[in-house]
Amino acid sequence: MLTGSRRGTAWAVLLSLTASLLAACGSGSEAGGELTTEQVTLRFTWWGADDRHKRTQQVIDMFQKKHPNITVKGEFKEWNGYWDSLATTMAANDAPDIMQMDELYIASYAERGALLDLNEGKKHLDTSNFDDRALATGTIGGKRYGVPVGLGMYSIIANTDLLAKYDIPLPDDTKWSWDDLKRIGEQVTKASGGSVFGVQSPGINDAAGLSIRARQQGKAMFDADAKVALTQEVARDYWQYILDLTKSGAAPPPSVTIEKASAGLNQSATATGTAAFGLWWNTQLTALTAASGAKLKLLRLPGETQGVQPGAYYKSSMFWSVSARSKHPAEATAFVNFLANDEQAAEVLLTERGVPANRKIREAIGGRLKDTDKAAKEYLDTVPVSDPPRTTPNGASTLDTILKRHTEDVLFGRSTPDQAAASYIREVQSEVDAAR
Amino acid sequence: MSALDELRQLRRGGVQVRKRDNRAAFWFLAPWFAGLVFITVGPVLASFALGFTKYNLIQPPRFIGLDNFARVLSDERLHNALRVTFTYVLVSVPLQLACALGVALLLDRGLRGLPLYRSAFYLPSLLGSSVAIAVLWTQVFGTEGLVNRVLGLFGVEGRGWISDPDTALSTLIVLNVWTFGSPMIIFLAGLRQIPAVYYEAAAIDGASRWSQFWRITMPLLSPILFFNLVLQIIHAFQSFTQAFVVSGGTGGPSDSTMFYTLYLYQQGFSRFDMGYASALAWFLLLIIAAFTAVNFWAAKYWVFYDD
Repeated sequence: MLTGSRRGTAWAVLLSLTASLLAACGSGSEAGGELTTEQVTLRFTWWGADDRHKRTQQVIDMFQKKHPNITVKGEFKEWNGYWDSLATTMAANDAPDIMQMDELYIASYAERGALLDLNEGKKHLDTSNFDDRALATGTIGGKRYGVPVGLGMYSIIANTDLLAKYDIPLPDDTKWSWDDLKRIGEQVTKASGGSVFGVQSPGINDAAGLSIRARQQGKAMFDADAKVALTQEVARDYWQYILDLTKSGAAPPPSVTIEKASAGLNQSATATGTAAFGLWWNTQLTALTAASGAKLKLLRLPGETQGVQPGAYYKSSMFWSVSARSKHPAEATAFVNFLANDEQAAEVLLTERGVPANRKIREAIGGRLKDTDKAAKEYLDTVPVSDPPRTTPNGASTLDTILKRHTEDVLFGRSTPDQAAASYIREVQSEVDAAR
Repeated sequence: MSALDELRQLRRGGVQVRKRDNRAAFWFLAPWFAGLVFITVGPVLASFALGFTKYNLIQPPRFIGLDNFARVLSDERLHNALRVTFTYVLVSVPLQLACALGVALLLDRGLRGLPLYRSAFYLPSLLGSSVAIAVLWTQVFGTEGLVNRVLGLFGVEGRGWISDPDTALSTLIVLNVWTFGSPMIIFLAGLRQIPAVYYEAAAIDGASRWSQFWRITMPLLSPILFFNLVLQIIHAFQSFTQAFVVSGGTGGPSDSTMFYTLYLYQQGFSRFDMGYASALAWFLLLIIAAFTAVNFWAAKYWVFYDD
């Protein structure tokens, strides 16, 4: 008996030793450790367009010059393919070390244990120049899963060339309402004889319009406990508004709206000069100006003064995150630090990923900005905002696609705004529940 | 010596297959075999096991019994996906086979430059399920696309065919019908097998072309038609790329192009519910198996084997 149990103990010790050895091999170094002097390779992935790829590669080269033993391999894709591929590489335990993360997905990945708590690598990462409120958007349950890259705000982008052409005065955006937008939109459509529409309908590609309306009423999409807090009334009014835009002719017919929505920024109604107003990120002004060749102006959101509070807020346009399974977490964190704090890197990146969330960097690049970038920065500095909403909870990453489907149902008369509102609230809630 | 004779001789042991040849054959087969085990059989078995779990791709799978399969019954969006997929299969496959047979009959009449036509009609089959063609489709059927321009010439007002839920699926059906090349080639080969003497005899007896077609061509071609039918139905059930590209991965507008496979993909890769996606994959296998079984059963009543 005695020998038996002793042998058992010996086995247990041996097993646990092996296990701890294996675990040590698996996790590689610690995020809080010193930077290695050995040759290591980091993989870094982001989504975006050509311009971003070029700038990012330049910054990678600068980092490699500073750290000759660290090689950074860039992998880039466009938005849709990016998330499909990230999901697959994560499952295959082959995730890149550093990734560009979005607000929509950060909780989904963090709560499934895929992201590193960057506080572990504090000694390599300086966040002292970031606004606390901005930093909070990348923090979940007290852990820092992402460093905010840029800040953006929702805005209405108006084509002033078109308005001048049809002799329609620019609305006073400090006090305009959603009804004003609709009314002026109708005027544009009428004046152009239907070749140009007033408003590019929101509610197709993302839930921004809905979220803004909820916030203006003092409500939100989600409450602190990740329950859907959106009310039936707000959602119904939102879809009714979109339906009214289409019916009154202020927005194009449904099939055109849907076609434009999936065609990307360059084919959008704002970029092609076929709509006078559109809901966009303030930082997209530069790209849209280049694509349209027209004079575009950033306007405040409608309805900001009629509700309880402004719907506008500073949204982290994206985050830098590190994989929890990275074999070189310290080096990966150091690279994130370089992206977030290096002034030379910032002079290459400028506002391409949003107006930098790092205040010191924002000041440093101020002099090198184009007029449209300056306008975007000024918008951010002057327009009144309220506190940002909570991070999109785990499981709700699909809320934009669910919204799109409901908008299509409403536009094509397959459901009423009332039905869409009830169904949307129910479906998003069940997605959040299913992820638990 | 014909292939058949050769086979008979092999059976009788007339030709000695040397051991060294066996070994060589094994090595030549090894890459395929490794691929089969690791890339096909392994994941297939894994997906069966995953069908009984909740698996979000990152955390380890958790056993939940038959929950995923029970969800199949109550999932309304899945039921819509089934409706869309059945419509697609049941409309596009017969149309596609009719086109294939029609063109094969035309080409079988000994046209000059036959190989050229054959290749031309076969080409869409090679391209049909490619991303490039699906992208082209969005242009052709777009609001300012080719179709609407042609309609415009006749004074007909077009519409956004792909962005309208009432017509989006039809464009995909047209795309599938357009790729009638591969069943056509098989029909053509089948037509060549029908001895010309049957037609000569029938012509002498005064049979019209119409009755020649129904009394000679169709019965003798029925095994080929059956083969094409089984194959194309299976193929159509598995369609994915077209719907994915045309709808930008959403299955929209309003889920009108939500193929079963696309829904399965979204469950696995957008909702991170790989357990449910695996269960759906096995459910699709059952559906296809059932369709194929019914096909084989029905074949007893209409397929004619001439031997």
